[in-house]
This record gives sequence, structure tokens and C-alpha cells, in this order.
Amino acid sequence: MLPDIPLSMVRPGTKVRISQIIGGCDDVKRMAELGLRDGTEIEMLQSGSPCILRVGQSKLCFRPSDILNILVNTDKVGC
Amino acid sequence: MSVDAPARTLNVALVGNPNTGKSTLFHALSGVRQKTGNYPGVTVEKKHGSFTYQGQKVTLIDLPGTYSLAPRSPDEMVTVDVLLGRQANEAKPNAVLVIVDASNLERNLYIVSQVKELGLPMIVALNMVDIAQEKGISIDGAKLQERLEIPVVPTQANRRGGMDRLRETIVSLSGQESIEPQSPFPEEFREKVAQLNAKLQAQTPDAPRYLAERLLLDTSGYLETELLHGGHELHNWIVETRNQLAEIGQPVPAIEAISRYQWVQQSLDGIVTRETSRKVSWSDRFDQILTDKIAGTIFFILVMSLMFMAVFSNYSAGIFMGLIEDGFELLANGVNAVLPDGALKSLLTDGVIAGVGGVLVFLPQICILFFFIAILEDCGYLARAAYLMDKLFSKVGLSGKSFIPLLSSFACAIPGIMAARVIENRRDRLITILVAPLMSCSARMPVYVLLTGAFIPDEALLGFFPLQVLVMLSMYLLGILAAVGVAFILRKTILPGETPPFVMELPTYKLPSITGVFWVVVEKGWAFVKRAGTLIFAMTVIIWALSYFPRNESGVEAPFADEIAQLKQQRTGADEQQAEQIDNRLAEIQNEIDGELLRNSFLGMAGHWIEPVVKPLGWDWKIGSAAIASFPAREVIISTMGVLYNLGGEEDEESESLKDTIKNAKWHQSEENVFNIPVALSIMVFFALCAQCAATLAVIKRETNSWRWPIFTFSYMTVLAYLGALVTYQVSAFFLLS
Repeated sequence: MLPDIPLSMVRPGTKVRISQIIGGCDDVKRMAELGLRDGTEIEMLQSGSPCILRVGQSKLCFRPSDILNILVNTDKVGC
Repeated sequence: MSVDAPARTLNVALVGNPNTGKSTLFHALSGVRQKTGNYPGVTVEKKHGSFTYQGQKVTLIDLPGTYSLAPRSPDEMVTVDVLLGRQANEAKPNAVLVIVDASNLERNLYIVSQVKELGLPMIVALNMVDIAQEKGISIDGAKLQERLEIPVVPTQANRRGGMDRLRETIVSLSGQESIEPQSPFPEEFREKVAQLNAKLQAQTPDAPRYLAERLLLDTSGYLETELLHGGHELHNWIVETRNQLAEIGQPVPAIEAISRYQWVQQSLDGIVTRETSRKVSWSDRFDQILTDKIAGTIFFILVMSLMFMAVFSNYSAGIFMGLIEDGFELLANGVNAVLPDGALKSLLTDGVIAGVGGVLVFLPQICILFFFIAILEDCGYLARAAYLMDKLFSKVGLSGKSFIPLLSSFACAIPGIMAARVIENRRDRLITILVAPLMSCSARMPVYVLLTGAFIPDEALLGFFPLQVLVMLSMYLLGILAAVGVAFILRKTILPGETPPFVMELPTYKLPSITGVFWVVVEKGWAFVKRAGTLIFAMTVIIWALSYFPRNESGVEAPFADEIAQLKQQRTGADEQQAEQIDNRLAEIQNEIDGELLRNSFLGMAGHWIEPVVKPLGWDWKIGSAAIASFPAREVIISTMGVLYNLGGEEDEESESLKDTIKNAKWHQSEENVFNIPVALSIMVFFALCAQCAATLAVIKRETNSWRWPIFTFSYMTVLAYLGALVTYQVSAFFLLS
């Protein structure tokens, strides 16, 4: 198993799984309400800040900011 | 359905995630019979609509799109308060209609699980089933209804599909008072909520159980301040309980997402089938180009250029503007012909018709701009534009979400400021509202057109770039740059704070709905006519009165009396050529008298009084008083200058004689021209930066619910405008006049 890396390092076109969201309780919860939580499979569509992620069937535009860090696991998923 | 008892109105609240087609469904259900308004004290918009089905009247309340019913701000609290019947002036809903996006059920059921806890009868509208099918997702609706134990109606709101069944299902809920609330939380957690509920009931007797649960879950502290007003004992109990829950593996607030998603997964197990390979949709293909850093940016610039060309072109907005101007001219001529000379005629022609007409003339531009914005928003492009703009906006501490309000402000700051409601973060929204009036709105155009036309040489820079266009363009750029600077400074000084996580959903592209776009344009256009119209009306009457009174007509006319009498006598026996000369002289005298009357009016006195202040800007007292007169609405400057320079008030920016007169205007008892390029530039810069719009300030007051922010906006913009005009005049005078 590969180690977890920050979301900002994921290249476009890559599918990854969120292993941990680090940040304040409320911010983490707000992400969960939007569908971003531990174990969610996401696809990086456009990298950078902001980046575009595919989460389920929706596309979320997201700024990988300082106060919230999303760690992802790059082990191949969904193949 | 029972038909004997007279049916009472059924109140149904609509909730759901953003981009689920909630508003489309609201329109499809209620048709055009709807009312929009605001809840006092917050920016939440309320939309009411109604329909009657099988004799049952149903009132719909459309609430703002939200991902969750977890209030963390007063705006979010409104939705919860409406659902719990705690919102003043809003009937408690008899039922809740939750709109869910069929292709995104997992996330959408999160809020369904929260609504289920409210105990209100509810219906799920499974919307966009067609889009889900295109994406290779099929849902067993009947089975879902069984699992959720609530009616599930598949709909296609954009094609009005499933509306009759939805209406029927809504009506069938009539008479049902409540359902058994269902909580997805573990037993221990529910026990704690019950205990807290009992404590809360003792303090606030009618507090609903749902709020007790939220109180335990909300670690942001918002609800505690809101509901308990800092009660110490209960606070300690809550903290202690949270610790206990964390110890048994139910940490707050994480437990909510865990429990609800667990419930969602159980509910959806075996109901949703997906095709194994994901199809690349049209939306994806579009996005590959439109969100690309280079191709996307080029497309964005093209779209924006096209839009502004349509707004400012003589062939689109120009035609309608001409028609409106002609209409008001006819009206003014009619009033002129019917009424005798005097205060009433002056009030109607110089005040009301000139003032209100001067504002209404911008209606076509505003409608065209909103037509474009509505289409771009409806088809899903604006979210992409906001994404592209985010990089730029984040540099000054704003987010891409500020792009739409600022774009709207180019038509008019009023709807722009209202559009800032899409920004959930209060500080970002406030900064956006405070800088929106710096965008060059259409009311500044007449000023730019008149002054560039009169003073900027009709030459081309480097052989191809017209100098006049360049000056106009730089006025727009000046506003944008000032907004950027002010936003940056506000962020660093009086509105500091942490940046909240920025998340925005990019909706699937779709064809815009014609009726939807039409109603947006009608709604925004009417709001402009009504809001700006009433205020401008009042202000023009005041400005008119200040420029009309105290009126000492006989005193002013006395020196000319002999000449007028003489001319009139000569005219009776004169030939055609002489008669024309005499008429011209009479008109000249009349203008002279009007000018003198204005100089002696309250406005004229104020003008003389502020002359020392405006002199460093290169202005004389006339420009000063015209600027004062245009504080309620900057359009007023054109007609005020017309009156001040003895031409009569019916001048517009195309008027050649006004251009000529101001070109030749001289300083008092001197041969020096008042106007020159530096003066023209300094006036334009002043008008580009100043907050000369009472309607905008009134909207800022309404949207921020405080007098502090309109006063602040007015002050900083006036200072900025003065300094900008001062620097412009002094620097350009140094280079051009020396």
C-alpha cells in the first residue's frame, strides 16, 4: 500500500480514495455534507487551486487551502 | 380525498441541495403565480407560490438550496426556523417536499434523513431521472419509497414531467398532521438528546427536539449563543456529554455524518444500479475545454466581450433606449403643451420626467445583461466562469463566487449587490457588497460619453486605437482596479479572518429554460423599475426643489424687462429673418434668466459654498453643484449642467449644443476656459469612483441590515473619488497645460 499524499499532489485524470480530512470539526463536517469524507472515491479532473473533483456524479470545485487538508490514498481504485 | 369539509390551505416547504432543479420544480408547480420577498434581518429570499389541485389549495414556500439542515449562521437558521414553524410571519408547513437529484442520491439523501427527524409529513421528488438514466444510473423508485417509508415521486421538472402525480401526492397529505420522527443516531446518542431536550424544554418551553439534537451536534457555538444566550450550566452539561459520547466512540460532530451516511447506504442498498463503465458525457467533454486554464480563459473572454458588446451596442440596447427616450420626450412635450408655465410644470418636466426617464432609459441594458447572465447561469456556465476567476479573486482575498455579483454590477449595482447572496461566507459577501458600486454601472455611461465626446480628441493612438474608446475603457478599468485594491485593504484591515474552505458545485450543462430566463429578466427588470424608480423619483423631486427655490422671478427678470418688451414690440412688424433673430435673442435672455435663477437657488448657493473645495479638482461652482445634485443619482449631472449652463434642462449626452457650450464656458470675469482635458478627466474619475446613487446605498442598508455599511461605503468612495479626481487633475494639468 502506498502512503497517503495530500490531494494537491494528485495529477488530473487520477482516481483516488480519501483516507483522511484534517481540519476543524465544523469544516470537516461541512465537507461531509457535500459528500467529501473518509473513504470517498474521487477523481481529480483539473488540478491546481482551485481544482475540480468528481465526487460520485457531481463535480466539486475546491481550493485545497491551508486550513483543510485532504489526504488521499493513491492505490488504484475503481478498476 | 374528502370533499365535504372546506379544504384549508396546505403549506408545503421545498428543500433540497443546490443544483437539483428545485427552482425549476417550484416554477413548474406554481406557474407564474409567485411572490418573492426577504426575511427581515437576513439575506434569505423567500419565494411563495401556489396551485389548486382537486379543490385543494396548496401554498409553496421555496427555501434556499442547502446541503444540510445544520444552522451555523442566521441565514441558515431561517430555513430550520421555517420548517419548525418558529419563523415569524410564516405559517408552519404542513408538509415538506424534498427535491433530490436522482443521479446523486447518496449525498442528497443526507438532508432527507434530517427532514425525517422533523416529524413533518414529507414527499421526495426524485428529480432529473432522465439525466440519471443518460448517465447509466437506474433507480428502483418503488423500492426506495418502501425503504424510506415516504412517498417518492419521479419527476423531470425541466420538462414538467411527473407534475400531476406530484400534485396528487402533495394533496393526498392533506389532513395528515405528522409522522413518527426517525433518527439514524445510535441509542446512546438519542438518550443524550432526550435528556438535553428535557433541559431545554425547562428553559424554553416550546423548543423542538430537533434543536436539542442540533445543540449537541453544533460545535461551532452558533446555536448555543442563539438558543441559550450563554447559559453556563447547560453549556457545561453539553461539553461533558460530548466528552462522554466521544469516549463510547460517538464523537460529536463526526457522529452525524457517520450515522446519516450509514442510513443512506442501508436505504440505497440494492436500489441503485450503475453501468460498470462510466460514460464520458457531453458535460465532461465541454468541461475539458471550458475549464482548461488556456482554452477556457479564451472562451471566457469571448463570452464576456460578446455580452458587453450586446449591452453597449447601438443595435441592441440602443434601439430600445432610443424608444424610451422618445417616449419620455413625447411625454415632456405633452406636459409642456398642456400646463401653464410655473412650478408644477417645472416639477413635472425638469424634475419627474427628466429624473425618472433618465433612469428608466437604462432598463434595456439591464435587461440584456440579465438575459445573458440568466442564460449563462441556467446552462451551467457561470459556475465555470467563477471557477476560472477564483484564482484571480483569491489573490485579493475573495473567492470566485464574487464574480457573478460584480459582473451584474456593470449593469447596475443594485441587482449586483443582491446577487451577492450566493456567497455563503458573510465576510466575503460583505466585501463584495462594499466594492460592487465601484464597477462602472450604466448610469456612468452618459457622463463618460458627454465628456469624452467633448474633450478627448477624435484621434487614434498608434494609428489604430481610438483615443476616445481608450479613455472610456480606462474608466471601466479604473473601477475594477479600485475594487481590487479596496477589497484587498478591507481584507487586511477591518474585515480580517480565516478563509473558510471554498467549495462550489459545478452543475451539469443543460439547455437553458426559456420561460425561466424570461421570468428572471422580468423579475430583475421590474425590481429595477420599482426600487430605483421610487427612490429616484423622490430624489429628483428634492433636487428639483433645491434648484427651483427660493425663486425671485421678478427680481431676476427686472434687468431684462425693458429689452424683452422692446424685442416683443419689434417682432410684431418684423420680416421672417428679423423675427428669427429676435426669437433667438429672446431664447438667449430666457436661458440667462434661468441660469440666474439657478445660481440664486439653494443648489446654486451650495455650489458657491463648496467652490473652494472643488477648485483643486479644476472645477468651477457649476460643476461642483452639478456633482452635488447628482449624489442621489449620477445621471442627474447631465440635466443639471444643462440648466447651469443656460441651455434649459432638456439636454442629453448627444446634445451638440451642450458640448459646445461647456467647451466655451469661461471662469467668472475671465477669458479662461473652465473645461479642458484635465477637468474632463477629473470629472470622469470622480464619477467613476463616487457613490452617487442613493438606491445603491439603500440596498446595502437592506442587505447588511445596518446603517453602518452604507455610511462606510459612501464615505470611502467619496474620499476615493475626491483623491482620484485631485490626482488626475493635478497630474494631467502638469503634463497637458504646462
